[in-house]
Amino acid sequence: MSLEGQLATAIRAAGAAGDSFPFEAWALHVFAHQLAHNPPYRAFCERRGVTLDTVERWDQVPPVPTAAFRHADLSCGPPEAVFQTSGTTGGAEQRGRHGVPCLDLYRASALVTFERFLLPDAARLPAIFLLPPPSERPDSSLVRMCAWVGEELSSEAEWFGSPAGVDMPRLLARLRELETAGDAVLIAGPTAGFSQLFESGAAFRLGPGSRLMDTGGAKGTARPLSRAGFVRACWTHLGIAGYFCVNEYGMTELCSQRYESVLCDRFAGRSLEARRLVAPPWLRTRVLDPDTLEPVDAGAVGLLCHHDLANAGSVSAVLTEDLGRAVGGDGIEVIGRVRGAPPRGCGLLLADLAP
Amino acid sequence: MSGFGDLARAIEAARQAAAATARRPRREVARALARAAARWRRDGELSRRLPQDARLSPAVVSAGVDATAQALDADAMAALVERELGSERPVRPWLVAHVLASNVPALAVPAIALGCLAGAAVLVKSGRADRVSGPAFRRALEAEDGDLAATVVTAYWAGGDVQAERALLAHADVVVVTGRDATVDAIARRLDTRVITHGERTSVAVIGRDAVTEADSIARALAEDVALHDQRGCLSPVAVYVERDADEFAERLAAALDAVAIALPPGPLEPDERAAHRAAVAEAEWTGATVLGGPRGTVLVDASSRPRPSPGRRTLWVKPLSSLADVLPAGRIECVGVAGAVIDPVMLGRLGVSRVCAPGRMQRPPLAWPRGQLAPLRTLLALPAEPRLEVESA
Repeated sequence: MSLEGQLATAIRAAGAAGDSFPFEAWALHVFAHQLAHNPPYRAFCERRGVTLDTVERWDQVPPVPTAAFRHADLSCGPPEAVFQTSGTTGGAEQRGRHGVPCLDLYRASALVTFERFLLPDAARLPAIFLLPPPSERPDSSLVRMCAWVGEELSSEAEWFGSPAGVDMPRLLARLRELETAGDAVLIAGPTAGFSQLFESGAAFRLGPGSRLMDTGGAKGTARPLSRAGFVRACWTHLGIAGYFCVNEYGMTELCSQRYESVLCDRFAGRSLEARRLVAPPWLRTRVLDPDTLEPVDAGAVGLLCHHDLANAGSVSAVLTEDLGRAVGGDGIEVIGRVRGAPPRGCGLLLADLAP
Repeated sequence: MSGFGDLARAIEAARQAAAATARRPRREVARALARAAARWRRDGELSRRLPQDARLSPAVVSAGVDATAQALDADAMAALVERELGSERPVRPWLVAHVLASNVPALAVPAIALGCLAGAAVLVKSGRADRVSGPAFRRALEAEDGDLAATVVTAYWAGGDVQAERALLAHADVVVVTGRDATVDAIARRLDTRVITHGERTSVAVIGRDAVTEADSIARALAEDVALHDQRGCLSPVAVYVERDADEFAERLAAALDAVAIALPPGPLEPDERAAHRAAVAEAEWTGATVLGGPRGTVLVDASSRPRPSPGRRTLWVKPLSSLADVLPAGRIECVGVAGAVIDPVMLGRLGVSRVCAPGRMQRPPLAWPRGQLAPLRTLLALPAEPRLEVESA
């Protein structure tokens, strides 16, 4: 079995809360794999004088900037899929491309984590995605993830993305049906898609136990809402309580995601914990001083540098253009993107669809 | 001054005052300006507020203020008038308006001086990050020569305030706008009057093989050019083309940037600005550049002579010297610093370069500097002039 296959098995076995997941050992194993099979990354490490012999700990693995995904094919083998970042400026050459040689590893990581943070009660709900269907956006990692959620963790899946953003008449009609039926529903999509729904002025009371996942932040929204304002709007327009509203933080360049632990905490009797983005045990994030690339003091703002073992098929250590800080012992808060960084993200996925 | 009405009346009064001062001997005007510059340099509010407003260290502000004041040399100003205008003066009460950028402080001072030398009234709209220099210079001029100060109006309004632009700029005979390309283009589109724009430009240095023996002093001089205004000006070098031993020169340059930062420390930066720099440097490294130095100055060594975007924040690309005509983008380079190399001024002129000088002099242009290849005084009076390239002898 390939290394990616072994890792997928280990992830499924550990589950998203697997405290005993041997991150350190896997990290060095994966780094060796990437040095051997990823020529651009190997060249980058060699220029820095980094070899297998010089790396003793996971946090010594050299991170590549997210810009590297705009410049090179970082796949460790023939990719089964190539995902592309969203953005409205700069054209195709400005978009990052992430080749994934083992989709099963991405699937394992995405589904185990999604289940932990969105479906800790093992509910299987009808899914409403404010996204185009996979046939229209095969290059979107978010759409792919939601398709898997629809297949494996939902009772049925429907897609409401359109060239105008969200197919609002169809969505409103469907939400009215669901409201009448009184059944719980899972509704997921870019934050910008929800903003579009809120701006329509429509209001529903979806069935108890309904829940919501949004991602991408305020990018692409006409009138950006604060997080508190967004959660309030979820209650006003959908009847979904704040503790059922879960924000996701993901990137095309990563096969793992972080989620707000609010729902997971509630089911675990930790309702008073702060909202924070928590990762599965195979994803670690360091908050680094931009000048020194050393970890900042606890709670200070710095650049987010992820180490995602589910990226075994490309590069695991990724230095982002996102600013954030550590929250609690296991979470982060994303503050924003660095000044001048090209606009990107799921919020722009809907904008990409416009003719 | 409160409200556009008051400002408009002050501007009209300045225009009438200029009608009288335009006939004064230019040497007398030049002397008054030079005295005002010396007085302005000692202005307490300037040294107190400018570092905070401009987000530069006090030492860098002080060095920039010195360089600005030195450019107002009485003899040089008189010579400039003689060379460009002779006995020509505005044909009627003339108003020049300047809309200043925020990247570099004290831009108001040469703007006011040139207007006075041309015999025009001057309206200066300060940039957001320096609302001190213009009023401080006018105060200094008032103390030295009240009649001349009466021809000067300083103001500030938020960028993009179309109402203010219409009320205050539309009546100017010439409007000079400096700033980002998008900003200057937008203002030029909104105004019907004659507009001179100075958009985003940058500068480079060329180090020839004959400079090998002086590499350390040249590196130090270049580092000072970079440190002044924290590399935010159009005269700030962003790339160095080196004819021989580029790697070795890069190391000297990194050391010089570090050393110069002791006397001229960088200004404060927000985390997102530091992060933006890191992201740019990380991308440069990924695409093959060797990174030398740290937060006090960074050198990016590149095997290609192709121009690359500058990350700013005291960061210099060091590249092998090839044909400048092939690598420099036309219309984007303001100044070329040259050491130990023979350059072709005609070729540089065709590329739109306006200034050639030695390293260490790049940030110290005289008032006569033909920015954008425009004759500084004739342009203000809408008089015809050939494009100019100034070559400053070492």
